[in-house]
Amino acid sequence: MSWNKVAVVGAGLIKFGELFEQSYEQMAAGAFDAALASVDKGMDKRAIDAVIVATQRGTLWGQEGIGGNTIPTAIGIAGVACTRVENACPSGSDAFRIGAMAVASGVHDVVLVIGVEKMRDKSSAEGLLARAASGHPLYNRGETAPVLFAPFATRHMYEFGTTPEMLASVAVKNHHNGCLDPYAHFQNEVTVEQVLSSPPVCRPLRLLDCCPQTDGAAAMILTTPERAAEFSDKPVHVAGFGVATEAPYLHEKTTFLGMPATTAASKRAFAMAGVGPGDMDMAEVHDCFTITEILDIEDLGFVEKGKGGPASLEGETALDGRIPVNPSGGLLAKGHPIGATGVAQLTECYWQLREEAEGRQVAIRNGFALQHNVGGRGSGVSVVNILTRNA
Amino acid sequence: MNRSPVNPVGILGVGVAAPELRLAAAAVGAAWGAGGGKHTIALCDADEDTLTLAWSAAVGALGAAGVDGGALSGLWWGTARPPFAEGPSLAMLATALGLPASADGLLAAGSPHAGAEALVAAWDAIAAGHAGLALVVASDALVPGVGTAGEATTGAAAVALVLGPTADAANGSGPPARLAARTSRQLAVVDRYRGDAQDATADVYDGRLFREEVFLPLVTEAGRALAGTAGAIGAWSIGDGDGKLAGAAARALGGPLAGAPILAELGDTGAAAALLGAVPVLAEAGTVGVVAYGGGRATALAIEVSKPVPGAAGAVAALSRGRTVTYTEAVKARGQLVAMVDPVPMGVPPASAAFVRGALEMLALEGARCTSCGSISTPPSIHPRCAACGAPGLEVVALARRGRVETFVVNQTMPPPFQAPLPLIVLDLEDGARLMLQGAPADAERLAIGDPVELVLRRYAVERHVPVYGYKARLVASNAGDRVVAGAEGSGG
Repeated sequence: MSWNKVAVVGAGLIKFGELFEQSYEQMAAGAFDAALASVDKGMDKRAIDAVIVATQRGTLWGQEGIGGNTIPTAIGIAGVACTRVENACPSGSDAFRIGAMAVASGVHDVVLVIGVEKMRDKSSAEGLLARAASGHPLYNRGETAPVLFAPFATRHMYEFGTTPEMLASVAVKNHHNGCLDPYAHFQNEVTVEQVLSSPPVCRPLRLLDCCPQTDGAAAMILTTPERAAEFSDKPVHVAGFGVATEAPYLHEKTTFLGMPATTAASKRAFAMAGVGPGDMDMAEVHDCFTITEILDIEDLGFVEKGKGGPASLEGETALDGRIPVNPSGGLLAKGHPIGATGVAQLTECYWQLREEAEGRQVAIRNGFALQHNVGGRGSGVSVVNILTRNA
Repeated sequence: MNRSPVNPVGILGVGVAAPELRLAAAAVGAAWGAGGGKHTIALCDADEDTLTLAWSAAVGALGAAGVDGGALSGLWWGTARPPFAEGPSLAMLATALGLPASADGLLAAGSPHAGAEALVAAWDAIAAGHAGLALVVASDALVPGVGTAGEATTGAAAVALVLGPTADAANGSGPPARLAARTSRQLAVVDRYRGDAQDATADVYDGRLFREEVFLPLVTEAGRALAGTAGAIGAWSIGDGDGKLAGAAARALGGPLAGAPILAELGDTGAAAALLGAVPVLAEAGTVGVVAYGGGRATALAIEVSKPVPGAAGAVAALSRGRTVTYTEAVKARGQLVAMVDPVPMGVPPASAAFVRGALEMLALEGARCTSCGSISTPPSIHPRCAACGAPGLEVVALARRGRVETFVVNQTMPPPFQAPLPLIVLDLEDGARLMLQGAPADAERLAIGDPVELVLRRYAVERHVPVYGYKARLVASNAGDRVVAGAEGSGG
């Protein structure tokens, strides 16, 4: 595959949390300012000639019909080209991929990818899938967000002997990492016992198996390798990306032991980058629930199918483990403001590859980091992006 | 008046259904500081109503008679209070039972007399040669007002009969039972009553007045007239309003009361009561006099049973499987204790295009079978191409009604109107189709991967005042297990 390379020269986010005091537009401006300020040699914001906005659900702040076009004015670059991307939970990842393609195509020189999501302007009971009333009026009736993932836990436990303790170990690790990430929603440790004694939300998942509802925004600035030198001496490059879909509804699944879209997307990304899972120094993966991270690390090829539980329990995915997963705290601790999530994960990869992640910095040996989201009534679409600090 | 029919009509099969929930009359008494009685009543859970009970009884009757819904000429359904005050009650039930789009039939409603009206209408349609096989269902799940006398006596149940012309049967192998004679009486008085905008059925104005001047005179007059036409009546089954009237009427008619244990277990089952009480006689032989009363009308009809009607044996035992609930649980189940929280509306209204497009696939439970690879995609309306191989050639097929649990969850956290625990089950049907459906809350603690399940029609929601029906998956093992318990003596099970 032949494509023009793309460089990342800036990335930033706002602290995630229940940001009742901030509007959608204010969050976006905060993330943009952070990304712009992060550019090593500085950047005139007028250099940006296109914006790709990721917002999954405008309805969560009461606006069904928002387009990306609110963003340029809000962040002070009115007039620039702008498009909103919606692709379920991977909206942010896909906005990044589309931004990269816009640069790779030669059409745009400097592209801002910005993910913004208001999850808490409506009560948590009215949020997203909490209403249990989306999808097919009968076949999906009663489906809240955990229902989309918990059936995989039931089956994974049945087939592979995965235990609640193994699930809990994912929450324990990611909460620990979140304590080291100043941008994380949660900054507290949890114990296996706390996870196992938290209230059942959707059996077999308990409260601490679930990510919170979080407001947030994140932004990255992409450009050509040629222009990158104007802005930074140590840009990070886009090594590859992949998107894959599968039948989204649970009754259409052919397996409850993994998400084939994740495997397919990662194979496309690895092939594009010319690397494999063993070359990754770290990964930010979609851990909306503890079981999801276990499925992800299997589907992405970091561990053998069925071994995700023991690998998590034994620390293989810890900061100092064989393959550190979700050093930022992941969705479980950092939070999951949907459109912003993927962009924030990529921001973490950017910092890790530049070795700027401070207390949660992992060892960078091969110079590659992987970012992954899966979503859409469970796992209808998966996006994988691979970044590298290698030239 | 009251002529004997020219063309005799036979009963080919019977089915019954009652909700699982039971409320002790004593619990009602305790709640209101009054006496109760030793009997129980059956009441619908939040996802059951007269239509779902009717469906269950009808499925049983069709199975007992060995008749497919598609072979029926029509559906004659009697229920005092149809699920839609005005609306598609009959069409929905007929569709869920697999009747053809051309099906004939009638919905009789307005009082507990409706069950007899449905039976008589089907009888006439067959006798006149307009109908071949007819399905008759009598069901009710009336909601009594809280604190009324009816609260301790109003039950819920359904009974279904498959009728056919006896001329079709060869001599010696005629129908096991035959509709023999009938007569009616009426008196224009107000008895039990529910007006527009009233949710609950009111008690009679004066119980003694009703008993002495309305119920007993009409029922005994009709019964005596019937006996004069039909000859010896071995037992009487009489619809009852308060648990005592039927016995008094039977005594006045000089015969034993059939189905008294059913009355004591389920309470007054409205339009179903008179036919339901006759079911024990259908399991044996003899002539039973059935007297239905409601709305100032009494109809008495004689059924001659020459040999056990398929489905009748064991039907009464099946009705005795119940689970006692508290008074609080009962009023919640009846929708009379409601949290003051705005319930989450359905994503699409029940009268909208998605339900029109999906009417058949949801109620008749259809899938789309791929003519290339044979796999079944569900539901057809969202699968214009095969979900497995992408091929365009799909044929609509009726799905199997049994399967096994592939995986499941138990949802514990939902806004109103949902109630936890709510099992959600991904299941593989016997024909290979995969569905995700709600499970029964009672199964939440015992579900396991691989368990056999059967699909039952339930009310998924009452949305914008409209009931929405669909199938739920119920553990087969739990039912079988309960049956073993119910008939444990000597069964070795």
